[in-house]
Amino acid sequence: MTAYIIRRLMQGVVVLFLISAVTFFLINLAPGGPSSAVSFQSTAAEREAVLKQYGLDKPVMVRYVDWLSQAVRGNLGTSLNQGLPVARLLAQRAGATLELGLTALFLATLGGVLLGIVAAGFRNRWPDHVVSALSALGMAIPGFWLGIVVIIVFAVHLGWLPTSGVFSVGKQFSLADRLRHLALPAGVLAFTLMPNIVRVTRSALLEVTHSDYVRTAHAKGLLPRVVLLKHTFKNALVPVLAILGLVTTVLFSGSVVIESVFGWAGLGRLAIEAANGRDYPVILGVTLLAGAFVVVVNLLVDLLYAAVDPRIRHG
Amino acid sequence: MADVLAAPRPRRSRLVRRVARHPIGIAAAAVIVVLLVMVTLGPVLYGQSPETANPAESLASPGAQHWLGTDELGRDVFARILAGGRVSLAVGLLSMLVGLTLGTLVGGLSGYFGGRTEMLLMRTVDVFMAIPAFFLILVIITAFGNHPATVIVTVGLGFWAQMARVVHAEFSKYRNAEFVEATHALGASHPRTMTLHILPQVVPQAIVLATLGVGWSILSEAALSYLGLGIQPPLASWGSMLQNAQAYLWAKPMLAIYPGLFIALTVLAFNTLGNALRDVLDPRDV
Amino acid sequence: MPRKTGPHLTTRLLALLAALAIFTIATAQTPNYDPNGSLTFVTNADPTLNPWTPGAVIESNLVNTILFDQLTRYSTKDLTPSPDLATSWEAAPDALSWTFHLRQGVKWSDGKPFGAADVAFTFNKVILNKALGANNSSVFSPVDHVEVVDPNTVRFVLKSPFSSLPYYLAYFAGMLPAHVLESAPNPLQVASFNKSNPVVTGPFKVAEFVPGSYVRLEPNPDYWGQAPKVKTIVFKVVADPNTQLAQLLAGDVDMVTVTNPTLLAGVERNPNLEVLRQSQNIWYWVALNQSDPRFTDVRVRQALLTAIDRQAIIDSVLKGYGTVATGPIAPLQKAFYDGSVPSYPYDPARAKQLMADAGWTPGPDGILQKDGKKLTITVPTGQFGYLVNATLLVQQYWKAIGVDAKLNVMEWNAYIQDVVVKRNYQATLAWWSTPPTPDITPYFSTAAAEKGNNIPNYKNAELDALMAKARAATNVDDEVTVVKAIEANVAQNLPYLFLWYPDIITVLNKKVGGMATINTPTAFQYSADWYVKR
Repeated sequence: MTAYIIRRLMQGVVVLFLISAVTFFLINLAPGGPSSAVSFQSTAAEREAVLKQYGLDKPVMVRYVDWLSQAVRGNLGTSLNQGLPVARLLAQRAGATLELGLTALFLATLGGVLLGIVAAGFRNRWPDHVVSALSALGMAIPGFWLGIVVIIVFAVHLGWLPTSGVFSVGKQFSLADRLRHLALPAGVLAFTLMPNIVRVTRSALLEVTHSDYVRTAHAKGLLPRVVLLKHTFKNALVPVLAILGLVTTVLFSGSVVIESVFGWAGLGRLAIEAANGRDYPVILGVTLLAGAFVVVVNLLVDLLYAAVDPRIRHG
Repeated sequence: MADVLAAPRPRRSRLVRRVARHPIGIAAAAVIVVLLVMVTLGPVLYGQSPETANPAESLASPGAQHWLGTDELGRDVFARILAGGRVSLAVGLLSMLVGLTLGTLVGGLSGYFGGRTEMLLMRTVDVFMAIPAFFLILVIITAFGNHPATVIVTVGLGFWAQMARVVHAEFSKYRNAEFVEATHALGASHPRTMTLHILPQVVPQAIVLATLGVGWSILSEAALSYLGLGIQPPLASWGSMLQNAQAYLWAKPMLAIYPGLFIALTVLAFNTLGNALRDVLDPRDV
Repeated sequence: MPRKTGPHLTTRLLALLAALAIFTIATAQTPNYDPNGSLTFVTNADPTLNPWTPGAVIESNLVNTILFDQLTRYSTKDLTPSPDLATSWEAAPDALSWTFHLRQGVKWSDGKPFGAADVAFTFNKVILNKALGANNSSVFSPVDHVEVVDPNTVRFVLKSPFSSLPYYLAYFAGMLPAHVLESAPNPLQVASFNKSNPVVTGPFKVAEFVPGSYVRLEPNPDYWGQAPKVKTIVFKVVADPNTQLAQLLAGDVDMVTVTNPTLLAGVERNPNLEVLRQSQNIWYWVALNQSDPRFTDVRVRQALLTAIDRQAIIDSVLKGYGTVATGPIAPLQKAFYDGSVPSYPYDPARAKQLMADAGWTPGPDGILQKDGKKLTITVPTGQFGYLVNATLLVQQYWKAIGVDAKLNVMEWNAYIQDVVVKRNYQATLAWWSTPPTPDITPYFSTAAAEKGNNIPNYKNAELDALMAKARAATNVDDEVTVVKAIEANVAQNLPYLFLWYPDIITVLNKKVGGMATINTPTAFQYSADWYVKR
């Protein structure tokens, strides 16, 4: 098992290298340059001076090698548009995204698995239909639209919750304040993620419930509850784990839009700003960070797979 | 002889009976058909043009001439819904096909063969998935521009890796199964085993994921347009209509409701259909 | 009972007077504003706290205006240059230099004195240093160098006459501290300055900067002027305009500049908010690339402008918040604005006639053609503000006279690359926002074509001569005469098709007091006057 983990981690490093190369070359195909250099009112002289300062007059390959040789030493460079070290920018923004993402994931898993069990347990009766309807709605509504509507209702009209931001300006750190700011964005994000979890939990439970070994367990006279918990659930976990792994990585994508709507200072917004502003070092930094996160999460999910389903062996 | 010829009929009527037990699924299918007919024939039958701007009539309320009113430039909203529907549905279906094909291929091959093939293919999937879908789409569209074909392929690319992972999980479950060993013992080739024996087991999951894929693609296009990266004006799509309407949430919220409603309705219909299909096709569903 | 009179009455009167006196003094001491008042503004991205760093643009302008004083600032009455760090100035008789007398006793926020050395450093080592690519540095190209005459006097030595220098010195042109930045390899990229705690002379200095969230300012104890009446100023970073407005409506933010008039619907009903219509020198235009021989005929340009119903676009896209433009000098420049120049009222028939005069006649499909070639114009459009909507309408008006315009909507960065950097366009719609000075050289001169801000690449020697003459004017009356000739010239020749002057809409919470109403950039040059009403 240890050999497997080490091998996967090494493969992860290769993956990160590939990601950085692919992203670097892709983003350099994009027309234009860093918005701090290439703006509507800058003259050619101003533009060229700044591009030269950033080393952007060198050929693409040279720039990639320069960046890579610094990156392996842990130096991710400086943001072209914001003037701050990339590592510091990432650290600040990553914290906010994790806060949002983990809370949403927690809420979505809790709600999703519970609703999925309810739906599977009351299959084809009214609770199942209600859950299906709700989760169908959750999958059909665009998240950013829900976000704006929710801001208007809860923050503007009712005044219960703040309109945006990670915390109130100038106040001392207060858990209550952070939670109030977290409520709407995490809620909206969880709402968009839950349906996937509900669906997979339900279908996996149903699939397994009808398999032979479960019928045998029933035939043996075991209580339905015991059957559900001891036999059905564990095996139904496999696809659920796969989906959880997916959802975790999808969180980055989902949070991009939610962060824009709620003014959440996270990695998603940073990614959009950096892509639009052609801030190459930041784009690469975000990609690497997101990539590392995904590699680790995938590895964990695969390990959990093996723990839960002995049919799947890793050698 | 006569028995053999008579055999298929009971299976078909069993299928029909199963379908008949899912009125909601049929309703969903009907909704999709109606939508498709609407967006194909609608523009021909409904007189107004989606593109002609009429500033004097901007933000008009629904009336006889403009069934759903007009937008900020005086363009007919219903005509734009119809035209936009064409684009959104096309993007949704085509993107899903791109993702489905690529995902099933890669997932199936890696799950079935295991070993080196699996490692290579799944690591490629990892690379794709390690760049968060939306971010990948952002980077690609920034690099290549937002021509509709680029948008379709890119949205599909954002989705295929998920597909591959799930298909891979299913195939690897079955690759060592007894019935697979049996088919091999009977001399079946790999492609035959994969398509005729394992693939059908995966079909229910795949169908659900595919219909989710249509919904996801439509929603992704909407989100892209919200960020200004998707389908560009003057070409209308439900997503780009939502982007325009964003500025009028206080003045004329209905402008955002209509495209949002249609998006939700379409995605709902596809998802419901997918659910129903899974129930119908699942061989273990008694 | 008989009333007691005499000494008792006098005592009572005296007591009453004393009480009145005490009452008056007491209320005069109690301020009618909240001494702990706090004002919150928004910005759409993290600011860069250095007015000259490349890329420090609209997200940084307002906060930098508060922090960094300039040599001059705009008068809140008529936008003429007024004293700030310089108390007076005069041009030399030969118009080839300007001398500025600096205010005495000004200190930087770290206690060190401000003086001529700082001005010289800011210009000679930063703005005029081409390798640094400082923001807006190209407008100072007539300046050769700045001399220190004595610790409180500087002289701007010019390459050519530059009558509008004092105007440009008031336009986002803050002074930098020599003693802090002169040893840095690149004075514009010092992160501890730009992103944390800059050394400033303004009424406020930075207390806290949380990237991605906010910048908090507090009063500068070393400020040379009257102490600020507000205790805290916060700039919150909120990217989305809808969210900015939601915050304003919820009372979390006190002022928002609304660029999209359609967002005002929810605001107008709110009793705590006031809507101000202001103006700056901003003019929207269509540029017809002069490298394209079809557009070198002035009749074609005039026809294309006559075909557009500008008022209708103002009414629908700008919701009425704008005025039809006649030239690059907006009405707010009262001394110089000339509204009597040709203005090309909407007239499609006349437009078609002008095109016919230029040789363009309708073909069988209705599209104009000349020598067998159809008039098809590709119009790249940047996704910013309402540019796309405005261009869609222009496309429609041109279609009505037989011009086939094809829109190519592009992401902003890609648009700049194509249109500004490569000048690879036929027609495009955008805008200029300039200081309130009649000097239009950077946007119209032959020297500014191709590589400068003359986007249409328009070259006209007569106009160049007039603009140079305006720069050489030594008194306002002479300048007015020449400027009016310039306005007549550009209105006739249409280097750009002048579209409209947009109103700038500022929505303010009524609790904000003392803020100048003429326009926001000017108001922010007087932040020491602000207060929060009780």
